[in-house]
Amino acid sequence: MVVLCAFIAGITFAQAKAPAKNWTPPKTAWGDPDIQGVWTSDDSFGVPFERPHVYGNRKFLTDEEFAEREKENKLLASSIEAGVTPNAGYWRQHEGVDYQPYSSSWSEYARQTSRQTSLIVDPEDGRLPELTQQALMLRLAAIAASRRKPRPESWEDINMFGRCITRGVLGSMLPVMYGNGTDILQSPGLVVIRYEMIHETRIVPIDPPGHPHPHLSAGLRAYMGDPRGHWEGNTLVVETTNFIGGRVGIGADGAGLKYSEDLRLVERFTRMSDRSIQYAVTVSDPKTFTAPWTVEFPITQEPGYQIYEYACHEGNYAMADILSGARAEEAKEGAQPAAK
Amino acid sequence: MQVRSISLIAVAGWLAFALPALHGQAYRAPRAADGHADLSGIWEALNTANWGLEDHSPQAGPMWQTGAIGAEPAGQGVVEGGAIPYLPAALEERKSNFANRRTNDPEAKCYLPGIPRANYMPYPFQIVQSPRGILFVYEYASANRLINMGKPVEPVSDTWMGTSNGHWEGDTLVIEVTGFNGLAWFDRAGDFASDKLHVVERFTRTDRDHLQYEAAIEDPSVFSRPWKISMPLYRRVEKDAQLLEFKCVEFAEELLYGQYKKK
Repeated sequence: MVVLCAFIAGITFAQAKAPAKNWTPPKTAWGDPDIQGVWTSDDSFGVPFERPHVYGNRKFLTDEEFAEREKENKLLASSIEAGVTPNAGYWRQHEGVDYQPYSSSWSEYARQTSRQTSLIVDPEDGRLPELTQQALMLRLAAIAASRRKPRPESWEDINMFGRCITRGVLGSMLPVMYGNGTDILQSPGLVVIRYEMIHETRIVPIDPPGHPHPHLSAGLRAYMGDPRGHWEGNTLVVETTNFIGGRVGIGADGAGLKYSEDLRLVERFTRMSDRSIQYAVTVSDPKTFTAPWTVEFPITQEPGYQIYEYACHEGNYAMADILSGARAEEAKEGAQPAAK
Repeated sequence: MQVRSISLIAVAGWLAFALPALHGQAYRAPRAADGHADLSGIWEALNTANWGLEDHSPQAGPMWQTGAIGAEPAGQGVVEGGAIPYLPAALEERKSNFANRRTNDPEAKCYLPGIPRANYMPYPFQIVQSPRGILFVYEYASANRLINMGKPVEPVSDTWMGTSNGHWEGDTLVIEVTGFNGLAWFDRAGDFASDKLHVVERFTRTDRDHLQYEAAIEDPSVFSRPWKISMPLYRRVEKDAQLLEFKCVEFAEELLYGQYKKK
């Protein structure tokens, strides 16, 4: 049984790696592969970022495991469509928190359930490589510092997404509750990648293979880095450096472990069908991770899905509420007699 | 025979290029992939419209501590006819905006700039002509807008940047922008409109390195009649010019949330 499942998983994996037969990848009027459209990472709902140990080196779910995940995804989808809060998926972590469910026009869900056991596909075990000594010390220092602060003292204690500054490159692509759209436009010599949530746009100049024009100097850095692109056959390869280090996490929404200014991302976009692009990104950051690692998942076109203006900072009432709430609680504590 | 026809073609070709120039005829822009005029590139206004659309004299900056840095430059207005035709109540609001401009201007808060202001802020922007529409990417605040070049669409909600429907009139890109939320200002002098704002923009390439920009502005709840601004936009001709990142939220947080910081 185990052998058979592995065999089936092997077939699925092979299918996922090659574009469909009898399908000709579209080209733009000027002859580049055409990857334009609004794509979402919604179909990776339910796939853990790091692979749970129980799967070992196995990249794909068994049929039983897949049925389980699909059931959960369907519960999520039908509940969102019906406007009720499901006890499934990303909602589960909100248990015990007083919140209002978002209506179906906000919340996103998978149309097709993924068989991947993790979004990390390399190393073999699907888990982040060991941290460097320096990254480990920074991580411990950050945890200790946050423990000393029971409440946020200023906006600097809120993460970069909470401040509506950025979600980072990978963090903008990973599936979260909503806002998973990636808008890709092309014109001769350029590919433009636009995200909804912080309305960030990456303008990727396309160079001949092997002849990238130089990056900006190390003195010029950006949250979304400095991208350079080229085509390898039907695959768009984007290499991005010049990141601002130490402020944004590598995970979904820019949360999680913070990367350094030496982060280098190599993304690969390969159109697999009319509906999907296989997206892979290799993360190298020798100051943070002892080895490079790769995340891979499909991004897909969903009927009616489009990018809207998401004026995050302009509507960030939460920031004033969180900080003023914290100050009000402190004032209340200060007014009470000190406990013996 | 062959030689002669080649030289004839060469002469005809030379005439075709030289004659319009000799006669002062209109510049013909190069073509984009779809055959329309190519407006793509990195552009920037080189005027003081962001300090004030009308004529304005120089003024001290907001902080004596930074001396002449931050002072407001003098500038000739970009409003056709000179003055913005405010209705009386709106003129009062504009005066109050001006008095409180250091903190109430959405630019001070790093808010989205709206249209037309995005096009003449002192930051470059890039036009990308793609088969999916024409994308305007602004360096300021990561603002951007995708111009729908297909069948016009109705705004689905009110937004800072509005909903842009574009079409070509010859080689001029004409963009109708509606669906504004009425929160954006036109400049640092407090000029403003409401959510009834209707802007018709015209972008015409006049030579290799210039776009002529015009915006016709209508808002019956604020102005007594439609009015118009116009200005050239200049290509950033530096060899390595590329749009950079200017995320200003971090520069506005003390202003916006400083009162809630732990003392």
